[in-house]
Amino acid sequence: MARWRYVFVEALAGLRRNLMMSLAVVLSVTVSLTLLGASLLLSEQVDLATDDWTGKVEVSIFLCDDRTCPAITTQQRQKLQEDLEAQPVVAEVFYESKREAYDRFTRLFADQPTLIEAIDVSTLPASFRVKLENPQLFGVIKDQFSAYPGVEEIVDQRDVLNQFLRFTTLVRNGALIIALIQLLAAGVLIANTIRVAAFARREQTAIMKLVGASNWYVRLPFVLEGVIAGALGAALSWGLLYFTVPRVTRDLAREVELLPFIGLDQVIAIAPIMAAAGIGIAAVSSILALRRFLQV
Amino acid sequence: MIRLHEVTKAFKRGRDGEVVALETVSLEIAKGEFVFVVGPSGSGKSTLMRLLTREQVADAGEVWVAGKNLKKLRSWKVPLLRREIGYVFQDFKLLPNKTVRENVAFALEVIGRGRRDIRDRVPEVLELVGLTDKAGALPHELSGGQQQRVSIARAFVNNPRLLLCDEPTGNLDPATSVGIMKLLDRINRTGTTVVMATHDQQIVDSMRRRVVELEDGRIVRDQVRGVYGYGA
Repeated sequence: MARWRYVFVEALAGLRRNLMMSLAVVLSVTVSLTLLGASLLLSEQVDLATDDWTGKVEVSIFLCDDRTCPAITTQQRQKLQEDLEAQPVVAEVFYESKREAYDRFTRLFADQPTLIEAIDVSTLPASFRVKLENPQLFGVIKDQFSAYPGVEEIVDQRDVLNQFLRFTTLVRNGALIIALIQLLAAGVLIANTIRVAAFARREQTAIMKLVGASNWYVRLPFVLEGVIAGALGAALSWGLLYFTVPRVTRDLAREVELLPFIGLDQVIAIAPIMAAAGIGIAAVSSILALRRFLQV
Repeated sequence: MIRLHEVTKAFKRGRDGEVVALETVSLEIAKGEFVFVVGPSGSGKSTLMRLLTREQVADAGEVWVAGKNLKKLRSWKVPLLRREIGYVFQDFKLLPNKTVRENVAFALEVIGRGRRDIRDRVPEVLELVGLTDKAGALPHELSGGQQQRVSIARAFVNNPRLLLCDEPTGNLDPATSVGIMKLLDRINRTGTTVVMATHDQQIVDSMRRRVVELEDGRIVRDQVRGVYGYGA
């Protein structure tokens, strides 16, 4: 018990002795982990949106309903379905009626009543939803069925999705790269701080080594000093995300009504990752900083 | 207790220069002995001491301390070796913001001794060095001789089998030095091996103990009841 108290007391004394430096470490960890957390949350957001969008659909064949072209007849629809099922690249075909499209829409945006109020059963077109053996073969479907009577439009859902994905992936990767550079900078700062701390206490450390204190006992206060700063930074950055992200997504959900957004659950879910990153980078850089300085 | 067999240690100086600090030194010190290591500055005394605590490792030859071959000693076991060795510095190396009692207790705390153990042992050793009434004082409130007594108390508090003293009287006046030597002699009589590197001719001559003389990294004399120099 006494030995643990020594380690903690020394670590806290070290942080206090060099308050400005400790503050710099905490803030730099905070900035880098906030970015890291934000990019993680962005990934979550993308996954959430993607899952929601794709479902099982890869190609949608929207059918005419008198709005832009004469409504499809029952025979035309049956012919289209038979030919789709006969086409070898097609794995599965579902027919989604206007009623089913409306039901799905209301389910998807159950929490956005304004959106549901804006449409009724007749608004959304009926469609064939086609799953392909190989999603790359969209061209085959488009060539063969575009000219069919009663077909309004054939859309590769992946196209829409890919555009969205490309953009978000870019943003996420950018944030991730900046986060990693920041994290590296934080690591260097921590290493430097710990080295200064070790230098300030070199007499004490020399005595400890000569009376036979074990290596980890000599080093642990310094490592702990870094780890406490890292953990503080992680806590601060997580707190920042905790208070901002749900607000921002709530506002966004009000503006952009077509997408589901992440909330508090996802922010809570990344807490262990951020803690691990903050504590991990602090521990690793402290240990590396001490490796040469405190050789036996 | 200590055995050196043809030990050589050199240090790099400059780009490709080399200074040989110890050259094929062989030496044996039995348990319970009191040995002076003498010689001019740069003769290799300090290097010898550092090899014994394994702050440095010999380039060639074997160093045995307390039954351990230091070349083969794993680095994580070095602390265990040092718990069997007490070390007294010329400049005391006390922690300025800790009291006498805390300075001595520190040596036990950092090797994980229990609080009760420490509470029993520290007053004992403070009594041995004659500083019971100064237990609450800070180092800067003490004289040089008293500070060195604290340093000896810290070195001896863990009951080491070997006490290494590097110029322990180097910063003290002759009268005070005599007191320190009496204390080291008393510790030696408890069965602790004492090795003391020194320049202090008067002390060596008055003690009449074994003297090992180094010159340019070689042992030039090893006398059982010696004096500082041939001419003295």
